[in-house]
Amino acid sequence: MAQRKAFRWHIMVFLAPAVLVYTAIMIVPLFGTLNLSLFNTTEEGRVFVGLKNFATLFGDPRWSERFWNALGNNAWFFLVHMLVQNPVGVALAALLSSPRLRGAAFYRTAIFIPTILSFVIVGFVWKLILSPIWGIAPGMLDAVGLKGLFAPWLGREGSALTTLALISVWQFVGIPMMLIYAALLSIPDEVIEAAEMDGVTGWSQFWKIKLPLILPSIGIISILTFVGNFNAFDLIYVTQGALAGPNFSTDILGTFLYRTFFGFQLQIGDPHMGATIATAMFGIILLGVSLYLFTVHRRLRRYQF
Amino acid sequence: MSQARNSTARSLAAHAVLILYTAIALFPVFVVVVNSFKNRRAIFADPLAVPTADTFDLIGYRTVLAQGDFFLYFQNSLIVTVASLFFVLLFGAMAAFALSEYRFRGNTLTGLYLALGIMIPIRLGTVAILQMMVASGLVNTLTALVLVYTAQGLPLAVFILSEFMRGVSDDLKNAGRIDGLSEYTIFFRLVLPLVRPAMATVAVFTMIPIWNDLWFPLILAPSEATKTITLGSQVFIGQFVTNWNAVLAALSLAILPVLVLYLIFSRQLIRGITAGAVK
Amino acid sequence: MGALTLSQVTKSFGATQVIRGVDLNVENGEFCVFVGPSGCGKSTLLRMIAGLEDVTSGDVTIHGARVNDLAPARREIAMVFQSYALYPHLTVRDNMGLALKQAGTPRVQIEQATEKAAEMLDLSHLLERRPAELSGGQRQRVAIGRAIVRRPKLFLFDEPLSNLDAALRVQTRIEIARLHRELGATMIYVTHDQVEAMTLADKIVVLRGGVVEQVGRPMDLYNDPDNTFVAGFIGSPQMNFLKAGKLGLRSDTLGIRPEHLEPGSGQISGRVSHVEKLGGETLVYVATEDHGLLTVRQFGEQDYAVDEEVGLSFDPNRAFHFDAEGKRLR
Repeated sequence: MAQRKAFRWHIMVFLAPAVLVYTAIMIVPLFGTLNLSLFNTTEEGRVFVGLKNFATLFGDPRWSERFWNALGNNAWFFLVHMLVQNPVGVALAALLSSPRLRGAAFYRTAIFIPTILSFVIVGFVWKLILSPIWGIAPGMLDAVGLKGLFAPWLGREGSALTTLALISVWQFVGIPMMLIYAALLSIPDEVIEAAEMDGVTGWSQFWKIKLPLILPSIGIISILTFVGNFNAFDLIYVTQGALAGPNFSTDILGTFLYRTFFGFQLQIGDPHMGATIATAMFGIILLGVSLYLFTVHRRLRRYQF
Repeated sequence: MSQARNSTARSLAAHAVLILYTAIALFPVFVVVVNSFKNRRAIFADPLAVPTADTFDLIGYRTVLAQGDFFLYFQNSLIVTVASLFFVLLFGAMAAFALSEYRFRGNTLTGLYLALGIMIPIRLGTVAILQMMVASGLVNTLTALVLVYTAQGLPLAVFILSEFMRGVSDDLKNAGRIDGLSEYTIFFRLVLPLVRPAMATVAVFTMIPIWNDLWFPLILAPSEATKTITLGSQVFIGQFVTNWNAVLAALSLAILPVLVLYLIFSRQLIRGITAGAVK
Repeated sequence: MGALTLSQVTKSFGATQVIRGVDLNVENGEFCVFVGPSGCGKSTLLRMIAGLEDVTSGDVTIHGARVNDLAPARREIAMVFQSYALYPHLTVRDNMGLALKQAGTPRVQIEQATEKAAEMLDLSHLLERRPAELSGGQRQRVAIGRAIVRRPKLFLFDEPLSNLDAALRVQTRIEIARLHRELGATMIYVTHDQVEAMTLADKIVVLRGGVVEQVGRPMDLYNDPDNTFVAGFIGSPQMNFLKAGKLGLRSDTLGIRPEHLEPGSGQISGRVSHVEKLGGETLVYVATEDHGLLTVRQFGEQDYAVDEEVGLSFDPNRAFHFDAEGKRLR
């Protein structure tokens, strides 16, 4: 639009509400949190302590042990998603997009249903199903003659985290499926027809033609999964409580932050250490995202059709 | 021909896998809803059976409706979700229009500034948000939740909508200018109706996390009068862990409204997601 | 005072100047066509006249009034877009009447103007439809109708025919010419197609790189081009450019139109490389050592064999001389 000599007020009017709300509720508090992590409460009230809180978090064994435990758990949580959720999502999308598949709309709708449910529902539903008291899971394993395999997975230190990660995968597999499905649909028919003419069909068509073309979408899904996982809290809180049992084996950064900030049982809340953990999470997410943007994302060429 | 037989076999295999996965996706929901209509003994005796005249029992629902104020929770969730959605869509579309339509200094910078929020979760600012809400007396009000969710939803809304708005024909907007429409009329009367599919997509993506959120209701508005359905059912289930009928009924009540809404909008949702790529 | 005057108009996007000082005067009732290859600035110039782009320097005057700082709607112009740009949610009637409604014209008057324009364009039976229910040609007629309803001082057309198929393009071209005669209005028309320019224009403005190369009546440009660019752009097939030195002439380049090259014996010799028979005419492409590929246009159906040796002659009075910069030597 032509730039008038007069100031173009309408641009301001269009931008102001979004920028104001976003700045006031998101950016300012974010910096407030970063700032808060540099202070601590002592007898004299609030004092500036510089990076001491971080030294405590990483150095003091009472804190660092919990922190590294949560970070390690979080990394495993993310890895399970990458190894299970995304391949399953891609496979489902590939099946759904096969030509002349009847009932594709039904499958799409049904498989996406878990994604719309809240963590509260998902957490409790699976807790009930896996509960040895109710016996649905052992009963079903029994039916296929594998009763011996059953264990109270959520209650054991060794398997609880992986079980939770798989529940989360079950809930969210719809998202990669949909995004990849959309990416597959956007490949022009001519390209696929040309591949058919060239004799590239079936699975080799998927590996050689389609997969390279949807790699950028897979990249975006991976980074969304990363951000989502390192920010997760609800599922663990609902199923295992804020203590992330058994024995902190399912503790991730989100539950650690919650416990630290609000306190739990005998421990009292500490906003400064809470802010310190939030800042550390901020750093981790920022690092991950930048790493992705500057290395992987650059190599994934977006093809113009 | 072998080609044809081959493709039939392949499509059968595809259906088999998809049916299997659909079963996995729906099974837990099925089990919970079915058992919520059974009496306690039947729930344990045969969890996979559908309720019969013998085993049918609504005791769970009666407990839930007597105990928890679920209608209030539901109403709270509805108010928060609808209000946040309205502001996200309105403010987001306005900002997206400004960014996609006008050349001005700071355009790219503003776009990047707003997009930052897609990658950085708002939860990390919780500590400061709570302090701010305490200071302004907004703790335990639905307003606090609406503000937070509006801020949370804006980055993605601006990002998606500005992509779509770039696709709206320049000629059309210019025809409007020549016909004497103001910039506001062009936005509300010409551009908004054309990006309606994108608005639907943004609406769904914004709505689901707001409706399902546990974190901010728990921290900003945990009072009885402001509990959302998600927080309400979490607390209720926590109190009634051993009352299986009540827990199953509460879960079913929490699932059903979302499920119904989803089934109504699923066509729109899927078209929205795929339109982003196909458009 | 003319209908439109541009004086020393320039336009820059950041550091790049896309319009570099254009002077132009369009008389009342004139049909003026801006023509040039893509990226020559013709559309930008039109949008500056419309007020959709601001003018970096210089003045745009419509009927004597300087309009540089006037909003598009207040310039009393109407514009027809390449993509039609019909409002998808309004009926044909409302599409055509919106500008008047926006200006506060009484309803009865809007009705009359709309009906009259619809009648002129044979759209009366479509008035209640929406754009999605119309064919491409009908949509373009609605877009033209929308312009007519406003009774503007100036009609602006931005490549209005490029989205139509060949047959419809010719038909609509004739329609626009008829409207121009009936309305007697001033029209500015942008196209990259020199055939449209030749058939519609009273005055053609040839643009290249943001600069006016030549302004004139179609036949003036054809018979008396100022430089090699205009000579090559106007006329189809393109003019042949020969190296004058090889022919013993003193100018740098010699321009000869394909219809003025005569096969038989002549001082230019070459081999036939390809023949295109169009029924009414035959185009012979002759590869020469000195001048590259030359096009020869023959009337009627002619027989040539590929690889056949042929000599070419020309009438010196119908050849154009250009200097090394491409400027015409008269």
